[in-house]
Amino acid sequence: MQYEQKHRDALVDMIDIHKYFGSVQVLRGIDFHVDRQEIVGLLGDNGAGKSTLIKVLTGFHSLTRGQIYFDGEAVNIYSPHDARELGIETVHQDLALVPLMSIARNFWLGQEPTYEIGPFRFLDKKMMARESIQALADVGIHIRDSEETVGTMSGGERQSIAIGRAVYFGKKLLILDEPTSALSVGETQKVLDYTIAAKEKGMSVIFITHNIRHVYEVADRFTIIERGHKLGDFYKSEVTENEVADMIVTGQIPERLRLYEEDAVGD
Amino acid sequence: MMQAYLDRKQEAANIGMMVTALMFGFAILGIAVAYMVAFWWMPLGDYVNIRLDDFNTYEYIVIIASLIYAAGCARTAIGLSSREKSSLRWSQWMYFITVMIGGAILLSVIIPVGLKFSLLLGQNIDLRAIINNDVGGLAPLALSIGESLISLSLLAAGLVALIALLVFLIPPLESLREMDGIRMIVAPPRRFVLAIIAVLAVGVIGVLIAGAYVVPLYPGTTTIRDAENHRLLAGLLFFLPGLFGYRLVRQVEEESDELRRAIALTPGKFIRAELAKSPSAGAIIGFIAIIMAFTMATDLFLEPSSVASFLSNIATKGVIAIGVTYLMISGEFDLSVGSILGVTALSFMNFMTHGAPIFGVMEPVPAALLAIFIAFILGAINGVLLISTRIPSFIVTLGTMLAFRAITLVAIAGGRILRYSDHHEALPVIGISNIVFLVLAVIGLLVVAFTAYRVLPVLYRGAMHAWSIQNDNGDFGTTGAIIRSVLLAVVLLILLALVIWLLAVLSYHGSAGGGEMVEVGYFDLFNGRVLSIGSEGDFVHVQIPRNANVRLAIIWWFSFVIVFHVILTSTSFGNSIFATGGNEGAARAQGVNVDRVKLQNFAIVAVLTGIAAIYETARNPGVDPNKGTGWELEVIAMTVIGGALLTGGYGSVVGSLLGALIFGMLQTGLVLVGIESRLFSGTIGVIIIVAVILNTFVRGARQN
Repeated sequence: MQYEQKHRDALVDMIDIHKYFGSVQVLRGIDFHVDRQEIVGLLGDNGAGKSTLIKVLTGFHSLTRGQIYFDGEAVNIYSPHDARELGIETVHQDLALVPLMSIARNFWLGQEPTYEIGPFRFLDKKMMARESIQALADVGIHIRDSEETVGTMSGGERQSIAIGRAVYFGKKLLILDEPTSALSVGETQKVLDYTIAAKEKGMSVIFITHNIRHVYEVADRFTIIERGHKLGDFYKSEVTENEVADMIVTGQIPERLRLYEEDAVGD
Repeated sequence: MMQAYLDRKQEAANIGMMVTALMFGFAILGIAVAYMVAFWWMPLGDYVNIRLDDFNTYEYIVIIASLIYAAGCARTAIGLSSREKSSLRWSQWMYFITVMIGGAILLSVIIPVGLKFSLLLGQNIDLRAIINNDVGGLAPLALSIGESLISLSLLAAGLVALIALLVFLIPPLESLREMDGIRMIVAPPRRFVLAIIAVLAVGVIGVLIAGAYVVPLYPGTTTIRDAENHRLLAGLLFFLPGLFGYRLVRQVEEESDELRRAIALTPGKFIRAELAKSPSAGAIIGFIAIIMAFTMATDLFLEPSSVASFLSNIATKGVIAIGVTYLMISGEFDLSVGSILGVTALSFMNFMTHGAPIFGVMEPVPAALLAIFIAFILGAINGVLLISTRIPSFIVTLGTMLAFRAITLVAIAGGRILRYSDHHEALPVIGISNIVFLVLAVIGLLVVAFTAYRVLPVLYRGAMHAWSIQNDNGDFGTTGAIIRSVLLAVVLLILLALVIWLLAVLSYHGSAGGGEMVEVGYFDLFNGRVLSIGSEGDFVHVQIPRNANVRLAIIWWFSFVIVFHVILTSTSFGNSIFATGGNEGAARAQGVNVDRVKLQNFAIVAVLTGIAAIYETARNPGVDPNKGTGWELEVIAMTVIGGALLTGGYGSVVGSLLGALIFGMLQTGLVLVGIESRLFSGTIGVIIIVAVILNTFVRGARQN
């Protein structure tokens, strides 16, 4: 089947995504796109399929039917490695950092700067410390000591460092998977601030959550998923926080919004 | 309160005077100790020679250390009396050091007393038999078994109390909590603190009384060298006033304005945080404690021959422990090292006696290389099995441990031993030219030069900087600058001494003529007695006591430790090892090839085990089918004592070195002290648990 990219300038355009696990249809033809420098709140109740959709995008699951365009080109994402190569960075709740390693080492993990003495390559620890402090300060994260272990930090600080790292390495798309579900109010606010900082540095962000209050403030647009279908895309100017919350719970588009919805989707 | 004293407030004058006077007192005490050791009789311990005209290294160290200590105390006391600002921090440190010195001296009383007392208990029954048979020379025991048990439990309770007191001292009781964004200090009630201190002090006094009561009863210790009683006085003089002063200056700081900073700077917390930076903190503490205990308990422990023997015994296992540390940091586990050692040793010997399939009977060096390659393959089998089946490494290597053992059991039938001497008349020999030694000395000189090039400018700049800001940097600026300059001078002197030694080696071997060949046994090259290498026991121009069994494997071991430590801490491979064990998902997500790291680590363990097998075989050229049985657990024990986490992500190569040293010291030391060697495994078991508790305790500062 031939697919055509619907949103010409979008960073990510996922078209007619189907995902079946055996006879269980988890995703039943979802269209999802993320524009450049846009924060999209991907919302839905537990089991709606939002995690599966993201796992298809990040290569953890292969899709049953559909097509993904990234940066204007049709791509096949078979593994997390492929997604990484494309510039997609996922910040998981607990999979982001190594608790027993220092901030600097976590920051550079997998792409450590080195200097050479003869045939041997050694870690450039001074540069690692300097650059990681600087890079994190650029997105507004001020750390005391780059040698401090991540394990001593709070959940919000850890999320922040992972976000700062993604920004520094010039990723194009940042996916935050339930980043705020275990955080205090103050820490949630910090993470939201860093998300905006990431957007200002030119990244697009997908913010997955089932709690509208965490994302309403920063998101430009909301995509609501309901039992494998997309309920709709809503720009922040169109909806109120309460309406979005109602839609997640009831799975119904309020009367007032149906008109917008038909315009927006159009097919 | 102390701050108030420094601000010349009237109400703090008494406490300030007291603290200052105590500090002066400690300065005088330090000078007195130095004086007594130098010019008078002062019983330092069994090891120290009591003759005046015969100083040994130990005494020199004590004299210099106590003079430095006295200088520090005097400087602090002067600072306090002239109310200099930085004297607050200095007095905290000096009191803390004083308490530590006192505690160490008290421990040096308690540990040997405990050891001797447990021996006494063990001998109780024997002695009665001896007395009944009227074998003369031994004093009859004044204690019944019941009395002994009471004393022993008193002793144990006191020891526990003393340790608790020290532990109580190290972490601050007050903790900083964050509640709803507000930082607040949670402190236990002062009455509670005082009660704990009182209980612990009673315990300590109890142990001291018990100790003093029991020690002379041990046959043979009531002599002029019965140093425990004398040390008891010195320990009390340092410990109790030191503790008193420390509580005074510390309590004062908590009340100062800079509340948060003050708590962060508490010496106890600082030390705990510093220790927490090193995975081997527990091992370091254990290492020092065990050296102290054995040094105090017996003269023989620091004899060159004992040190050499335990180092030689432990070197091969230490080499394996390096690899096991790598593997454990990456979150895996290898039970098959003992069997791999057996197979490698057997192959090595077999290649030299019966020959390999293609190569025929081989010379030692190619045989060793081929045997190590076989070890590598066995390790690769472990690794491939693990990553292809995803079975836990415990199960995989349990299986291969049994399977690999079958190879040696089948190959050498009937419990025979494959001996080199059964197939060859003489041990293999190789001629080494003098030039090799010359080249080694030149390399050594280059290494020294490189170190000087890297280290000296840093130290020099630091010292110059300290001098330039001596007037801006609080009141102790000059003192700090002097300390930095002394440090620079010491490093310079050490480097100079190395250069002079290497030049001496150069001139010695250079004057002997370039063409001269030195006959060296092949096996000696792998793991010989250092004495047997070179001519006339003059290996690279250093005199080693003839009775010391210093083996070359020790040098190999230390070099491996340095190399693998650098790889682990300063390369991206090391970084990925930590990440793999610490959080596999995160490592994978950051593009670390987790499977490859694990495979490489299994290969590293196997190759190091192969090298260890060559050392073992070279030391004793004979292989029996059960060689290496049980080593796997001993090596894991060393690694765990060294601070590696069984769950991965944490550990250090230096820790494995310390773990192995602790293991070796216990093995040798227990025999020297006279405790039955059957108790060794029990002791090791206790040590492992204590070490892990210590490690967990200091890691508390590192991980929530």
